[in-house]
Amino acid sequence: MRSWLARGFFLATAISAVAVFAVLLIATGTIVVRGLPAIDRTFLFTATVGSGEGGVLYQLVGTLILIGTALAVSLPLAIGLALAATVYLPRPRLRRSALALLYTANGIPSVLVGIAGFLVFSHWLGWGKSWLAGGLLLALMILPAESVALIERIESLPRRYLDAAYGLGLNRSQVARAVVLRQSWNGLFSGALLGLARAAGETAPILFAAAVFSGATVPRGIRESPVLALPYHVFVLAQDSFAAGGERHLWGAALVLLCLVATLSLVALPSRLRAHEESRHG
Amino acid sequence: MVDPAKAAASPSALEARGFGVGNGARDLIRGVDLKVESRSVLCLVGPSGAGKTTLLRGLNRLIDLAPDLHRIGEVLLHGRSIYGRGVDGDSVRRRIGILFQQPVVFPGSVADNVLFGLRHGGLARRRELPERLERAIREAALWEEVKDRLAEPAASLSVGQQQRLCLARALAVEPEVLLLDEPTSALDPRSTEAIEERIRALRETRAIVLVTHDIRQAERTADVLACIDRREGAGTVIECGACRDLLSRPQSLELARFLDSSLAGDPRPLRFPAETATADLLAVVET
Repeated sequence: MRSWLARGFFLATAISAVAVFAVLLIATGTIVVRGLPAIDRTFLFTATVGSGEGGVLYQLVGTLILIGTALAVSLPLAIGLALAATVYLPRPRLRRSALALLYTANGIPSVLVGIAGFLVFSHWLGWGKSWLAGGLLLALMILPAESVALIERIESLPRRYLDAAYGLGLNRSQVARAVVLRQSWNGLFSGALLGLARAAGETAPILFAAAVFSGATVPRGIRESPVLALPYHVFVLAQDSFAAGGERHLWGAALVLLCLVATLSLVALPSRLRAHEESRHG
Repeated sequence: MVDPAKAAASPSALEARGFGVGNGARDLIRGVDLKVESRSVLCLVGPSGAGKTTLLRGLNRLIDLAPDLHRIGEVLLHGRSIYGRGVDGDSVRRRIGILFQQPVVFPGSVADNVLFGLRHGGLARRRELPERLERAIREAALWEEVKDRLAEPAASLSVGQQQRLCLARALAVEPEVLLLDEPTSALDPRSTEAIEERIRALRETRAIVLVTHDIRQAERTADVLACIDRREGAGTVIECGACRDLLSRPQSLELARFLDSSLAGDPRPLRFPAETATADLLAVVET
């Protein structure tokens, strides 16, 4: 009876794993097969013409501006939050509450962030559509993931390092700089890259407050300075592109976006694995 | 040895008065009274779980960093409370250095490790660092072994060298008192001998509190011996006195038992030969 249960359990897990990989493979394969014919030097380095001709230069530039801003804003905040939760909050209960809050924030639907951003930045502050609003909203989206990755890394640091540093008379800020951050750098790095990979593919937060489909190049101010962005471009083309060549353009843009996300994730992977390994072995 | 007249005139380097550490309603150690004179070694012995390490961490306010722990009583450094209002715990920890059971080496070079406290604590000017580096390493009797390897990773040193490196790091910030928590328990006999030789040398300039399970080590290094054991659920000092007196005539059952178990199977006599007291005390228990 027990061996049947074990076999059944193994079969169920194997089917689940195969199903997940199959879906991932089909989706990725479709994008690669359909997008590859569109990719060439011109596609990457020229601007879009009309709604389905030319390249995706400014969509790529816009996406990089958005995720660069998100990184610049979220990184210091994530470091501050993580240090507050691990070094400066003395009570374990407070620390657990802070973590629970971050996990909850990580699950907020992106469309709600987009609507909130539209109200705050576009409406109340009068920015209209602005790259800065998009960057700030993406920073808000990835901040919990970055902070949690850093907190987990800091909490996995062997306690003896902290004791040794405090034992030399270093104060909390000095320990945070000399030990905690120095040895958690890979956690921050991988958390930031994984967060950016997510941000690069998000459409909803930039839909209302930052992105337009056409007519923008490089922003020169904050108010009414929208950007083009790959996820928004794919989103719009997938919905209503009837232009000749639109489909080819759509799959090409999707492949560029996929490559961007995959690159960020793959770069983060080794340091993520190293952090896991170190936390397991101390 | 400590000059009794001088010791009576000036306050002890470190003194615990009715000191205890608790976790919620539970006392881990209770009612500890100890005096560590300048230029002397006080050795804490006792069975595992008696609270020796907790006491040590209480003596330099490392327990401040454990939010679940609270203290009772006082610890005085040269007659002034280290837990008093307005006393900065970080500066107390700098003045009362600690060396742990296992060597804790930070990623980085030998020099980086020795200068860790000075650099990150902002305790020395840049131009002073080379001189402080050499002085600390010499004081830890490691200079000849690492003088050509200062830029090499500290992790490449042997465990015994790493422990002396940690001693050099602790000495670099020039503490007035040194707390050593079983510093030789992970070391081979040769490295143990090197550390013990250093303890004897450092005793000339500092007060030292040494926690050890090794009664032979206590015999070789200590001026004063204190036995800690659990009574009524909390660790407390059972006996404290001149090492020679306590080893030759233990007054408590706990110390007699500890000596008996520590020396089991060891035919060598103690330097201060135990008289019949140990056997007498144990015989009383047997009956």
